Amino acid sequence: MTYPLSTHVVGEARLLLLAIFLVILVSSLAPHAAYAADQDVRPVPVDFNRDIRPLLSENCISCHGPDSAHREADLRLDQEQAAKGDRKGHPIVVAGDSAASELIARIESAEEPMPPVESGKSLNASQKKLLRRWIDEGAVWSKPWTYVKPSRHPIPDAEPSSWPINWIDQFVLQRLNQEQLAPSADADRVTLLRRLHFDLIGLPPTPAEVRDFLSDESPDAYEKVVDRLLSSTHFGERMAIYWLDLVRFADTVGYHGDQPHNIWPYRDYVIHAFASNKPFDQFTREQLAGDLLPDASIDQQIASGYNRLLQTSHEGGVQLKEYRVIYLADRVRNVSQVWMGATLGCAQCHDHKYDPLSTEEFYALGAFFADVDDEAHIRGVKGANLNALPSPRPPEIETHGFYQRQRLAELQEAINKLDSQVDQERLEQLQAERDRLQQAKGRTMVSVAMTPREVRVLPRGNWLDESGPVVTPRVPAAFGEVRLEPDSRATRLDLANWLTDPQGAGGFTARVMANRFWYLLFGDGIARVLDDFGGQGEPPTHPELLDNLAVEFLESGWDVKHLIKLLVMSHTYRQSSIVSDELRVKDPENRLFARQARYRLPAEAVRDALLEISGLLEKEIGGPSVRPYQPPGLYRHLNFPVRKYEPQTGKQQYRRALYMHWQRQFLHPVLKAFDAPSREECTAQRPRSNTPLAALVLLNDPSFLAAARELASSTLEIANSEDNPSSLIDQMFLRAVSRPADAREHQILTDLLQSQLDYYEQNPKSAEALLEQKRAWPQLAAWTAVARAVLNLSESVSRN
Amino acid sequence: MNHHASDLNRRTFLARSGLGVGSAALMNLIGSEAAASSVSNYRGLAALPHFAPRVKRVIFLCMAGGPSHLESFDYKPELARISGRPMPESFTKGQPIAQLQGQELRAQGPLTRFRPHGESGQMISDFFPHTAKIADEICIVRSMVTEQINHDPAHTFMNTGTAISGRPSMGAWATYGLGSEGADLPGFVVMTSVGGRNPQPIASRQWSAGFLPSRFQGVEFNSAGDPVHYVGNPRGISAANQRELVDVVQRLDSHRNQKINNPEIDARIAAYEMAFRMQASVPKLVDVSDEPQHILDLYGARPGDGSFASNCLLARRLAQRGVRFIHLYHRGWDHHGDLVKHMHTCTRHTDQATSALITDLKQQGMLDDTLVIWGGEFGRTPMFQGKGGIGRDHHIKGFSMWLAGGGIRPGMTYGSTDELGYHAVENIVHVRDLHATMLHQLGLDHNRFSVKYQGLDMRLTGVEPARVVQGILANDVSVG
Repeated sequence: MTYPLSTHVVGEARLLLLAIFLVILVSSLAPHAAYAADQDVRPVPVDFNRDIRPLLSENCISCHGPDSAHREADLRLDQEQAAKGDRKGHPIVVAGDSAASELIARIESAEEPMPPVESGKSLNASQKKLLRRWIDEGAVWSKPWTYVKPSRHPIPDAEPSSWPINWIDQFVLQRLNQEQLAPSADADRVTLLRRLHFDLIGLPPTPAEVRDFLSDESPDAYEKVVDRLLSSTHFGERMAIYWLDLVRFADTVGYHGDQPHNIWPYRDYVIHAFASNKPFDQFTREQLAGDLLPDASIDQQIASGYNRLLQTSHEGGVQLKEYRVIYLADRVRNVSQVWMGATLGCAQCHDHKYDPLSTEEFYALGAFFADVDDEAHIRGVKGANLNALPSPRPPEIETHGFYQRQRLAELQEAINKLDSQVDQERLEQLQAERDRLQQAKGRTMVSVAMTPREVRVLPRGNWLDESGPVVTPRVPAAFGEVRLEPDSRATRLDLANWLTDPQGAGGFTARVMANRFWYLLFGDGIARVLDDFGGQGEPPTHPELLDNLAVEFLESGWDVKHLIKLLVMSHTYRQSSIVSDELRVKDPENRLFARQARYRLPAEAVRDALLEISGLLEKEIGGPSVRPYQPPGLYRHLNFPVRKYEPQTGKQQYRRALYMHWQRQFLHPVLKAFDAPSREECTAQRPRSNTPLAALVLLNDPSFLAAARELASSTLEIANSEDNPSSLIDQMFLRAVSRPADAREHQILTDLLQSQLDYYEQNPKSAEALLEQKRAWPQLAAWTAVARAVLNLSESVSRN
Repeated sequence: MNHHASDLNRRTFLARSGLGVGSAALMNLIGSEAAASSVSNYRGLAALPHFAPRVKRVIFLCMAGGPSHLESFDYKPELARISGRPMPESFTKGQPIAQLQGQELRAQGPLTRFRPHGESGQMISDFFPHTAKIADEICIVRSMVTEQINHDPAHTFMNTGTAISGRPSMGAWATYGLGSEGADLPGFVVMTSVGGRNPQPIASRQWSAGFLPSRFQGVEFNSAGDPVHYVGNPRGISAANQRELVDVVQRLDSHRNQKINNPEIDARIAAYEMAFRMQASVPKLVDVSDEPQHILDLYGARPGDGSFASNCLLARRLAQRGVRFIHLYHRGWDHHGDLVKHMHTCTRHTDQATSALITDLKQQGMLDDTLVIWGGEFGRTPMFQGKGGIGRDHHIKGFSMWLAGGGIRPGMTYGSTDELGYHAVENIVHVRDLHATMLHQLGLDHNRFSVKYQGLDMRLTGVEPARVVQGILANDVSVG
């Protein structure tokens, strides 16, 4: 959106000139995207939700909206009736007659313009024109799309009819038809394979997988890859990485001393849930209310750890009543962002300024969690030291994680099958592993229901003010209501059921999640703000498509893999990500999905990819979090107690990044440099940065140096007499970027090899140091340099 | 690269950012592949500053733990008079309280003497003999208030304007808005000193970029090991090896980019260049062997000791190299008990260097375009706490900070607390007023400096009204 220009430049001639320049630019660009650059010739009528609501929300609603305490002139522009009311002969909006509408008079007023100058907001000429057109076209008002349940829309026709593979494509193509644009060409097969691998399992394909795919000429070769990846446990790991961001899963308490707490079995539960395609409604129930399910299983209890994932504190001098509110607010923010796509956080202190969400509803939603027993660490845990590592956070249960239990069962079965007479050695091995694993039982925080605490509305969020009314569990009215027996109190289980009930908020939840799955596979959501579908979010670019995806998700029985397969099978998904000159101009932000997205891999995938390319990656699933190498002293500012980080040795340090110990206050630099969040709050969308610190990590982190050494030595090891430097470079390329190097790349790397070889031959001590071995091996040292170059390529860590 | 493309993106970027920094501007920075400007010479948002800035940079000296205002800058004879008696309930009833919950509240008089200093006659306690020497350079604010009574959230509040995690800290805001003036150093640098007593933990959240692009996060300089993580070459790799490697990566990336034409790769090439330059410049920056002995003596710095004194000297060197926001933490000010002893420890580590920094900046001609801020996340109770010797609990309703440098009226005391030092009563300065004032000195209007996040216009100063504290500003010219 654009802002008033004149107000910002008073008395500043230099800025004024710039402003004039900008006015010209701004008026030539539409509010959201260049594809809609010329509103006047748009062939379709003005759409209230798409075109008008965002303008009103951005410029008017904070003073003329739902926040009753700060409403000006007793005027609401978030309600049709109010906006079209008579207002003593000065109606704000007169349908069909912009000239008689006060709204137009005020936005055009030179003396008292709306929005007021001091608000820092303004409407540009084309936006004003749009408002006029909307009124003249009849001022059609529609309910905010957020609160309209998704329904199935007819699938549109689009040209060319040969292009669509499934109905997703027809929606996308029809929109492109409107804009007179064509979809991009298909991506080449290698790019497609890499894309599928990164998107579905978070790892690059092996050279063998590339070869197999390229040589598979069957018509369903692509689908076979999709099915193979969806059935991999690594799919569960990939999806867990995203889910753990949403629910802010971390290994430490977050506040003050940031001690570790016991929660990792929850992470394994999430991996297994996605890997086994647990229906999303069941997944929701188990997390919000696993403890309330009849005969709750171990996994359901572990899942209920969701309610314990928030940051907690036992800093000396924390006030119980204050922290009850802090925890309540934290849970309200999370549940509303994760499932409802609503940002309720601001309603803690005042009615929402843009959406129909009141302070009372904030606390009423919080009241669902008033039974979660989690105060022991503030009151003090009898006989326990809260500054222990890990810090006790009762209630906890002692258990194995899902994959530990699975492994134990496998071991037991193998042991039972073995003939002890014949395989004594093997038997002992298996028994030892079993015994070790038996011991590795961990604790994990769970939900236990107690008598609910009293929850009051806190005026302006002030916990010292107990004058507000007591509230009981209730969902925000804009989303519906939880139906209950008379005189009963709604529980977390009621909330979970309502969130996934098609008669309740199920459709909304499905739409929020469908949009996120789309984001994971296309780089951006159909509605771009992934955790705010409210007035200040952005309306979806393809509302009917998003609705249909939501309905599909719902009607499939919340089948995540079904939805994801549908998305990746589409032609839209298979397009090239290379941006044509035309699209670069007409749709720079790819709002029309006329191409695929390209971006640097998420933090975990960067690390996993480099370790996988080198052959170092240890693909064991689940278990306690691991501690790979990190720079010494990273935790030196932690206290209570002071922390000493002991990196693990051997294979454990090369586990996948989602198992890395997640220290909220001092995230591992590899994770942090590549935009992994601290997981203090819900993260629905990570930024994608490109910083010198990230370059330093890729260049110099010892784990990546080890990966380079391993890539070099394993390449040399398997080399046979016919291999020359050129073919070895190709082998490295195949492992890293799934293609051989081209002539120029060969030349650059051969030159590097030669000059590094010269260096290490003359500096054997440096070779020893680089290789961390007593034997100077200039050849390997020089190849390690080549491997470093290959691992540092943009292409090695990009999804195209 | 395709120049047409980059021109367009630049244009889009300018238009989107407008002069109010809209959502599209942020999305452009973090979301799209259009790199609006290359990493190494980011000069801030096109439309900023809003008006001519008074200072170029900020040095924030955070005394973490909450130094006692009653033993530093807030002289309270009445509190001395009633020392030992029950604290009048009219002060404490219904007020938040930390460790003294449920205990009898007794007044505790000042544990040191105050004297007027300098021509201005500002009252400064005997704990700060060196700060006393710069009494005429600093503006003491005695009427600070904050909203958070525990360390961790109080720091978060002081740095980000809210206790909710995930918001940008003030250094990230400043760097996002204005960029950095140096080409080979980050714009926002954080240093935490060693030495002193058992310190409160401090979280990297305090220098987080929050929802801003991560390149605006504070970069922590370490006192031991690599000054910046991974800034040293791995063993067995010389600077020349590394240069060649970076060249090769850049050549390969740009060769590939001829095929795929992705502006993000140009940004990456620039990031690798900056990374390599940091590898050279950071060790040079922290190597203070080119400083004359009298300067080391002025600060009391021994090179490489990681002390607050060394960090103050480094702060000046960073300032000289164009770093926008320099945030120093010295921990150990949490004096629930044994306050006198611990105050001596803390001031021994910080007082001389603080004073030296002001003196040095002034003699280098830099004080005029630098804003220096001194203070903790809150103050301490006028009530006694006895956790091993006499001490004081956390206190948020009134405490002291000071500011110095460009555009700040030197040698003045602003605002006051009541006679017992409990409530700020005159010219109250809320943390967000401090933020508004700081931004104002940088040429930024806090009301208009906003970023769209989760559908809201986020500001450092939040949604409640904030004011620029005009009463402490000198009415003189701005920097060019």
